[in-house]
Order: sequence, then C-alpha cells, then structure tokens
Amino acid sequence: MNDPLESQRGGTEKRPRQVFELDETGFNEVPPRYRRFYRRWKGTADSLAPNEVKCPVCKVVIRSRVELRAGDRVYCMPCMSRLEVIEENGELVAKVLY
Amino acid sequence: MSGQDDPHQLDASAFHRTVHSFEFWFEAVEGYLHGREYGVSPATQEVELSERQRESLITILCNYCVGETAALDASSGMIGFAPDRISKIFLSTQVVDEGRHLEVMLHRLGQLGVRDPEAEILQRANRSLLKFKERLLDFVHASDWEAAVLAQNVILECMEYTVFRYHAAHADPVTSEMLSGVVSDERRHMGFGENDLGRRLIVAPHAHERLLKIKRELDPLILDTFSETMGELGIEPASRPDLANEYLGAVARLGFQS
Repeated sequence: MNDPLESQRGGTEKRPRQVFELDETGFNEVPPRYRRFYRRWKGTADSLAPNEVKCPVCKVVIRSRVELRAGDRVYCMPCMSRLEVIEENGELVAKVLY
Repeated sequence: MSGQDDPHQLDASAFHRTVHSFEFWFEAVEGYLHGREYGVSPATQEVELSERQRESLITILCNYCVGETAALDASSGMIGFAPDRISKIFLSTQVVDEGRHLEVMLHRLGQLGVRDPEAEILQRANRSLLKFKERLLDFVHASDWEAAVLAQNVILECMEYTVFRYHAAHADPVTSEMLSGVVSDERRHMGFGENDLGRRLIVAPHAHERLLKIKRELDPLILDTFSETMGELGIEPASRPDLANEYLGAVARLGFQS
C-alpha cells in the first residue's frame, strides 16, 4: 500500500498501523479471493472501522488488512474505481482518482 | 491470506486489466447469480399482489425493459468504436448483462400475466425515456464515444442504479431478488462510465463544454422518467430516493455543474 505521506509526518503517523484479520462479510459481487475486502454499507446505523472507507461511486465499503491513513490508495473492485484516502473534516473519506 | 489476493496491492494497470476482464466477470456474477433461475432463488415465494399493485409493477417493468433495451442496443454498438481492446472486452460483458436484464424482466412480466410484452411495452413506455433512447442511439450511430459513455454509462446507469436499489428494497420478494442481481451488475456499468470519462476529460478537457450541453439536453428526459417511475411506485416526492445524491454526485465528480 502506497503511503507517501507516512515518512513525512511525525506524531501519530509514526505509530505502527493496526493490522486486521479480514473475515468473509457475505459480499458476493467480486471473485471469491477478493470478497473479504468489501462489504455492504448497512445504512445510517452502520459505522466504518479504521481499516474501512466507503466508495463514493457505488457506496460499497472497502476494507484493508491494515488501518487506513490519508494518502493510501485503495481499489473498489465492484465498480472498478481507483481511490485515494483523504482526510475531510477529521474523517477519512475516499476520493476517486481517474 | 496471500498478498497476491490483496486487491489494494495491485498496480494500477493490473487492476485496470483485472476488473475489465471476462475472467473477473465470470467469478463476480457467479457469486450472486448461481442457482438463481431468472435471477431468483427457488426458495423465494410469490406474494399476492392487488390488481393496482400488479398494474403498477407491469408499467414499471415495461419501462425498465425500454431502458435495458436501450443499454443493450447501445453497449453492443459501442464495441465497434471503443477506443481500446480492454474497453471492448468490458463492453462485451456489459452486453451479456443487459441481455440478461431484459430476459429476467420479460420473464417477470410473463409471471404477472402479460401475454404480449412487446405490445404492452409499446403502450406503457414513457415518452421521455423513448426520446432518451433515441438520443443515445444517435450518439452510438455517430460513433461518438464520449457522448455515448456519458448518456449510457453515467446518466442512464446512474438513474437505473438509484431506482432499482430503491425499488428492490420495497418490492415483493421475487421482484426484489431479481432487481438485486441487476443492481450488482449496474455497479460495474456505472463505475466504468465515470472512470472512463474521468480519465478522458483529464487529457481532453476541451470535450467538457460539449458534454455539458449534451448533459443539459438529457437531464430533463431522465429526471422526468425518474419522477414518473417514483409516481408508479406510489412514492411521494418528499420520500423519494435522493437521485441528486447519486447522479448529481457522479457528474459533479466529473466537473459538471448541476
């Protein structure tokens, strides 16, 4: 995972990233080997874990094996989008990279 | 877990090749269509619809068939002038998807007692949607890739994605399951459109003004269709799904002012 900002930052960015064990989520719209990297958004009662970000194009939740940070690049396979994780109003969101 | 299975570790070109491939498509659709005849599991039971509900559903499905036929005709035509082979391969998967959508919807009309779907579609089709289809096919016949992608994969797919998701959440169980499988396909079609056009506008920003004019011409047609479908579903304007959030969000990301 590309994190060009990590080496330039101090403080919390130096902290090792949390690692996550990804379980199957029931998501079935990509080939089996990739399914655990995605899950469906369950609506307003749902929330994102530190290793998750929501795809702005198709609203699927994208999951990573490690905690996400601003500058990371992730892919939404269900809608074929390439995304960059950015910080907006104190929250991590995904922005489409064309 | 093997690092090779981590999609986020792929380089951009490998990702692009992978998700546009037939190999990817085969394994993706297997996940949500396997064991579902005409998109519906054998265990899913019909519920009784009132005559009013049945009539509304027939009108809605007839209009879905118009949209799916437009997408089938357009996506198959676009293969001939797609700018690269990866796009041709992706469009060939979209053609299969659109043909399947049309088939499952015609099948559902048959289950609802429609004996002559061609005549029924002709009679119930929304005029704005027919006009939209005509304009989309004009772009295809002119081999205008950018306009065809905007009209089909951004505007039409985005509306279908929004409407089908909402309808699936409120429909009878059989229609709901059938639509859920269609929605899963629409994610790819819509994502293809936004990403292809986004890349194209970066290298050809002069295309922006021309596409904006096309968008302004097509917006009223698609919004009228959306409004009529929501009316058939019996949804009051205040309770309708936020098309603006989906469609206008997509076009805003592409730099079009709403």
